[in-house]
Amino acid sequence: MEERRYRSASGAPIALRRRQHSASCRELAVRCPRLRLRSLSAATSAAWLAAYGLFVLTENSMVLSAAIIITLIGLIIYLHFVKIDQESLLVIGSLGIQVTSSYASGKESTTFIEMSQVQDVVINEAIHMQKVIYYLCILLQDPGDPQGVSEVVPLFQSSKPRLDCLIEVYKSCQEILEQRKTAPQSS
Amino acid sequence: ENSPAPLPERAIYGFALFLGSWFGFILYLIWAYIPETWLFSLGLTYWPQKYWAVALPAYLLVAIGIGYILLFGINMMSTAPLNSTDTITDNYAKKQQQKKFQEDAIPALRDIPISEVNRMFFLPEK
Repeated sequence: MEERRYRSASGAPIALRRRQHSASCRELAVRCPRLRLRSLSAATSAAWLAAYGLFVLTENSMVLSAAIIITLIGLIIYLHFVKIDQESLLVIGSLGIQVTSSYASGKESTTFIEMSQVQDVVINEAIHMQKVIYYLCILLQDPGDPQGVSEVVPLFQSSKPRLDCLIEVYKSCQEILEQRKTAPQSS
Repeated sequence: ENSPAPLPERAIYGFALFLGSWFGFILYLIWAYIPETWLFSLGLTYWPQKYWAVALPAYLLVAIGIGYILLFGINMMSTAPLNSTDTITDNYAKKQQQKKFQEDAIPALRDIPISEVNRMFFLPEK
């Protein structure tokens, strides 16, 4: 179990934690930076100042209560649906790959991909907004064509680690994926 | 056959366009500046409203400005999203023919699969 610090594509500090559960099972978790009190207070103050300005213009006190309610509901929605705390990848050699995203409110969303569907885990480059970024993705097998790729599942979408962190994750995944070529079990 | 050198036909086209554009410009100035009553007295009663002499250039400039933003937006929309297979391969790469490997010859140009490229770049050779 080791933890190392890296940077995300936008420069924010992230941490990669690697755990080896067994010879064919590894867990890699990327932790995103927490919500800062500074930015939260800044956003809240800006929203409430704007609402107070509107109140001075319109003389309607409903604007103030509406601003408070909108800020509270907006914060809850942000924490529950947008702000991701940790993204983890659990690779089990003969079984499959599990991708988990934990949100700041505690919600966890999981996706499991069976090993027979996984063709490879690769680092791909693509244009995202105005940048070209490296990102790790799982290539899913095309059932009709053994060489073909039917789907691409991008990983670590919120933390967007840089290439050095991605290479570490890639090497760990490849060590486990190579085992299925050397030791093919039944079916 | 298709060279950009000057030719007599091109000189004639150029001069015709030059005269035509000057004629169009003078016509536009007349339409925009000469008062309506003077145009009516000449018998030219069915020309468009002078409003358009100002409106059309304004429309044109706004359209050019929006065109910049629209082009940028169309570019962003046509960029393949991160989860599409267009970032990995396309129809030409799927249908490519494998040429036979010849000794001492430069290997034929082909699209290398992304798994192979990744192994070469990121896994250290033992």
